[in-house]
Amino acid sequence: MNFRIDLPTKLALVLLLWICAFAVSWEAQVVLVLLIIMSRFAVPDFKPQSRRSARAFTRFLIYSFAVATFVLILNSLLIRGGSTFGSIGGFSLYQDGLFFGIRTASRLLLLTFAILVFFISTPLKDLIRYLQARGLSNSFALILLLTLHFLDQLPARIHQIFLAQQARGAPVDAGFISRSRALFSILSPLVLSSIVESIDRGTALELRGFLHRPTSTEESQSSPGQRNVLTLLILFLSLIVVLYTIAQWLLG
Amino acid sequence: MAARIDILSLSLRYSDTALPALDSVSLEIPQGGCVGIVGPTGSGKSTLLHTLSGILGKHHPEVVVSGQLCIGSDTFQGIPREVLFPTVGLVLQDPFIQISGVRDTVTEELRFTLENLDAAGQGSDQLIQTMLSSLGIEHLADRAPTTLSGGETQRVALASILISNPSVLLLDEPVTALDATAQNRLRSILKSLRGRTTVLLTDSQIDFPMSVCDTIVVLDRGRIEACAKPAELLLTGKLLTNVGGSEHWSSLVTPLNQPSSRRPGPLNRIRKALGLP
Amino acid sequence: MLKYIRERFAEELTGPALPFVAFCIALNLTAGQITAALKIPLYLDSIGTILVAVLVGPWSAVLCGSTANILASAFGNPAMMFFIPVVAVIGAFTGYVAKLGWFRKWYLVGLGGILQGVLAAIVSAPISAYLFSGVMMSGTDFLVLYFRSLGNTLMDSVLYQGLASDPVDKLVSYAIVFLLVRNLPLRLLSRLHGAVNLRTPDRAQ
Repeated sequence: MNFRIDLPTKLALVLLLWICAFAVSWEAQVVLVLLIIMSRFAVPDFKPQSRRSARAFTRFLIYSFAVATFVLILNSLLIRGGSTFGSIGGFSLYQDGLFFGIRTASRLLLLTFAILVFFISTPLKDLIRYLQARGLSNSFALILLLTLHFLDQLPARIHQIFLAQQARGAPVDAGFISRSRALFSILSPLVLSSIVESIDRGTALELRGFLHRPTSTEESQSSPGQRNVLTLLILFLSLIVVLYTIAQWLLG
Repeated sequence: MAARIDILSLSLRYSDTALPALDSVSLEIPQGGCVGIVGPTGSGKSTLLHTLSGILGKHHPEVVVSGQLCIGSDTFQGIPREVLFPTVGLVLQDPFIQISGVRDTVTEELRFTLENLDAAGQGSDQLIQTMLSSLGIEHLADRAPTTLSGGETQRVALASILISNPSVLLLDEPVTALDATAQNRLRSILKSLRGRTTVLLTDSQIDFPMSVCDTIVVLDRGRIEACAKPAELLLTGKLLTNVGGSEHWSSLVTPLNQPSSRRPGPLNRIRKALGLP
Repeated sequence: MLKYIRERFAEELTGPALPFVAFCIALNLTAGQITAALKIPLYLDSIGTILVAVLVGPWSAVLCGSTANILASAFGNPAMMFFIPVVAVIGAFTGYVAKLGWFRKWYLVGLGGILQGVLAAIVSAPISAYLFSGVMMSGTDFLVLYFRSLGNTLMDSVLYQGLASDPVDKLVSYAIVFLLVRNLPLRLLSRLHGAVNLRTPDRAQ
């Protein structure tokens, strides 16, 4: 038995947080959101794996603050009930709308931050290999890994085509209609070259026997001694929350 | 173990074209031999390799075929309709395409082939190390395949096929993007495979095949125009004159008959490579 | 059911389809770079999904769209995860109409784009309303605000906003893909499963 934060633990945590986003009060959701944000800085297993992930987190933090504020204001303006507590531009802000906005915003933040912290702290290739070891088909795994490969190459390729088209006079800076035509002069060679490359790559994969590759048969937990107690605890907690919520709903 | 290849009057035509891609091709390639197929663009060189690998038959079921093909102990009426890997390994013209793009290191790239064969278990590390050493790329073991030069990628692509121990190795224009040093390295590798693997390579220039192959086959518009040992081709000017009858052979044949006075012509380079006077 | 799904995927995901679907997922995530460089107010974030739907098939298109949204979440926009049902519907519907041969005729492409937009608006409305209160931090938020100020419920406002903008957006994406694929040689496309849906008696090989 071991007690550590590994990939299955993180997945279980995301599940628990998503359940809480619909099952617990907004106060508890706000606390959970703050805990998630703090864990990004304080818990090594939740720290960003790269600078890009760290920047993505910071950008989303600012963006989510803006979204939450907008949700609060919008609902305070439009859901008229309870007493007013302020005004914006002559329009009154209502308490009922504010509380509805808080509930919506807290749920949204909990849902989004749970996934975000999972992804920034988990290298995608590790996630793909984990899924593959647990039965994800070789074809799907290959698609995911090739996508990461293309995501590295595509911006440079688009830029090259853009420059090449600009050099032969494509109207990239002209009026809207001309620029729309220029869109095709970039998309067309991009799509055509991708189809040609896909055919060649597909052929190359077949020539290396990929399509007849056997599916991985690795067991998720090969022996009881390797089970992660933390993962099991979190899953158990998720079950308790679900049952409690159902019981509350049934009992009115 | 190397496999013998026998091609008997093989003709192949795509259903939507009148002209055949291969026209009554007959060829015997001995076990462990090395044959070079030369010809201009569109002569059918790649078509022949793709046919032998099985990839053409699989993806173009509509092709009209006649003749017979034997690879090792397998006989095909017409052409194989399934990819024959690992019996037949094909290294494509563009080595960058052959690299899977999903592995972080050269070692893992080779392991990808073994995983496809369900042979990535015990002993695979040793096998990979041996393959890297035999191709002189052990220093690239931990490098990312996407950061390699053309020549290095070519050798990794070759290793990724050779690790499956094919009986037949097909190389589609392997020296197109290689400098002289890289070509020399490839020459050494192919010579080391002599007897162990049957090799068939294509090229649109005659220099490289002449220096490494036992037999040269000249292909033009799907037909075999000549088939001889390099020395015979070199010394029998008459044969080359006959082959050079068609216009688009001039770039291949003319230099052999009329070497440039400003630099050592292809004829002299070939003579030197073969150790001839 | 699982066996049926596996068979459909096996049918569609042939050798060349695997890298092509991967390319289209990446295209969904980077197409915005092209429109931004040309200062065209389009996202084109479904263009890869529509391409896969037309050239490969509906199941692969669902995979393409879903994976693009998951990766978008992974790269810093976690809200995209919740719109997976929307992109799945885009992929499935487009693949289905492509199978019916709608991508052979421009007027059917137009009709398909509008229907697709309506469908996308209907599927995205509850997600946008319930989870996001209709707030997406884009220009369309003002449309939602406008409809709400007319006395409509949140759900209705989000639906009306979707119906006002999604059909136009999807029509443009469909048109772009139609214009892209109609001039591609069929012999090249024939290695992809869906290419047969583009074949017409007069279309040159």
